[in-house]
Amino acid sequence: MPFAAYAFPLNAKKAPQSREDLLAIQNALHAAIPKVEPATVCIDLGEGTGSGVIVTADGLVMTAAHVASGVGKDVTVIMPDGTKLTGETLGLLSESDAALVRITEKLPGGGDFPFVEINRTDDTKLGDWIFSLGHSGGFDKDRGAVARLGRLVRVANATIQTDGTLIGGDSGGPLFDMEGRLIGIHSRVGPQLPVNMHVPVKVFLDGWDLMMKSEFVGEGPFAQKPEKGKGMLGIATKPAEGGLEITKVGKSTPAEVAGLKEGDVIRTMNGTPVKDRDGLKAVLAEMAAGDKLALEITREGKNETIKLRLGER
Amino acid sequence: MKRSNYVSASARIAAALFCLMVCGGNVFSQQSLESNFRMTGDGVLAVFEPQRQAIQKCSAALYDGRDLVSYGVVVSADGYILSKASEIEKVAKLDVRVDTGLFKNAKIVMVDPRWDVALVKIDAAGLTPAQYAPDSKLTQGTWVVVNGATSRTRRRILAGIISANEREIPAEGGAVLGVELEKSKDKLIVKSVTEGSGAQQAGMKAGDVIVSVEGEAVKDIKGLSDLLNTKKAGTKAKISVKRDDENLELDVRLSARGELFREISRNDEMSGDFSNRRSGFPKVLQHDILASSKTMGGPVLDLDGRVIGMNIARANRAETFAIPVEELKPLAEGMIEQSKK
Repeated sequence: MPFAAYAFPLNAKKAPQSREDLLAIQNALHAAIPKVEPATVCIDLGEGTGSGVIVTADGLVMTAAHVASGVGKDVTVIMPDGTKLTGETLGLLSESDAALVRITEKLPGGGDFPFVEINRTDDTKLGDWIFSLGHSGGFDKDRGAVARLGRLVRVANATIQTDGTLIGGDSGGPLFDMEGRLIGIHSRVGPQLPVNMHVPVKVFLDGWDLMMKSEFVGEGPFAQKPEKGKGMLGIATKPAEGGLEITKVGKSTPAEVAGLKEGDVIRTMNGTPVKDRDGLKAVLAEMAAGDKLALEITREGKNETIKLRLGER
Repeated sequence: MKRSNYVSASARIAAALFCLMVCGGNVFSQQSLESNFRMTGDGVLAVFEPQRQAIQKCSAALYDGRDLVSYGVVVSADGYILSKASEIEKVAKLDVRVDTGLFKNAKIVMVDPRWDVALVKIDAAGLTPAQYAPDSKLTQGTWVVVNGATSRTRRRILAGIISANEREIPAEGGAVLGVELEKSKDKLIVKSVTEGSGAQQAGMKAGDVIVSVEGEAVKDIKGLSDLLNTKKAGTKAKISVKRDDENLELDVRLSARGELFREISRNDEMSGDFSNRRSGFPKVLQHDILASSKTMGGPVLDLDGRVIGMNIARANRAETFAIPVEELKPLAEGMIEQSKK
């Protein structure tokens, strides 16, 4: 960026010295919070909720890897006004607790999603004033997202520590500088109340392309890769001319949901030709629940491609 | 409303993190802000000296012997103080410190169970009562100041911001009497009475048969809970019971289920010392200042040193509730007036 970023004046002081200084902090919060709150969402995974923040007009959400918990999972994104939208988890960085989610449904009124600006300058430093937003303990429309003020008290490569207190439900929510630019995502807490950890946006930006490609990066601890060989398709087959013929499609299985039918002949799975059951087993043995599978099939003489995600066995 | 607890730190991660901090302490120490300039440090709090002076005068500290049990708001020059009822009711001998003076044997004059507020009287004159702000209509992000730690002579303060919308906090798990019932299809027989419940205070006993609530006949658990669901925790309900051949009318204060039968959630586990009574309030303000169950009851000040509310519940690690001044002022005035009758 050719121009110098505007710096919040109080960040240059060790501490506020006067009522005017306090009002400068308060005025900055009054200006910034209403600007970023509409983009602070709750992410419902069915078994629990976390938070997230929309960062693009087309509905890309930054959150924590332990909230997304996997790649290609269906989630419900709850807007601050209570509107529920479907979403899908993209990739995640399991070692640093970063993940992206895509909102897959349009707003009821159409139009752009509210979104926040990412502070890409990486210029935050110790002592900077910050504020956290998040749906602490779960979504509560009457309460709204909860704001907390604090300072940046520790910076390490993959972690920012602040003294703005977090709790379960805040995970994945946004940490802002005083101009309302995103500088981190809430991750975890320490044993004492003022110890609260966030993933810096730099970690997201560095891993952005991998996450956009729905990659599961690393071996945890913030998310665990689904086990290979545990993915479920839901069909019975027999060898046939040109591949494997489906003899049965299980009820409510990924195969049925994707529209596979009895009599379809599977020619390839993710590009690998399959001629017998061992071939099918070999492909599935390398795949896990949630993985994408593209099937080239022949149905009534016509070639088709069917895409699905494996279920959990 | 669903209040599921997504865990921001699973036990496993918390343990790993703790290790990381202990092991890496030296490496990171040069990269950390000295504690004096953190939110709870004197370097930051010094600028709030005018508000601290107001807290020094209008925030009372209530003790059971040497132990602080609660704070309070001084609401009159002649010694009326509001505090959090559920934290002080069990104290046999209540001592109160206002500014540098210690007042022994304070009396609990009256309790408002709806707000969990007690009116306390000390034998004093010439106190500086809290100055009420005209309203509590403060936007999210507005500074507020409360009583932090207290010594014999000096009040420390803590500062933070209004962090959420003003709203009602419904009773956790709904309103309950505080009894366990025997399994019976057509009769509500009390099997046991829960310690500290409104049912116990009203004198309900094991073996009593609950016949009606507010004049409406009840026969089974569903009927009873349907009726109680229309009521609020902290209010009283007239319960008719049959004991042996006698018919009794009991005035039972309803409790929040969460208050009597607490199930500790993952969020509770990471919240330190929170208030037992933390729900069932008609309206609250919310702020982000660190607190514990023992630092509730005191005033919440604005930057002008005026009371915008009274801390009433430490709800969890990130949320503290206060009674807004619009409700607090008439409550204080009403209780004082009633107590003088």
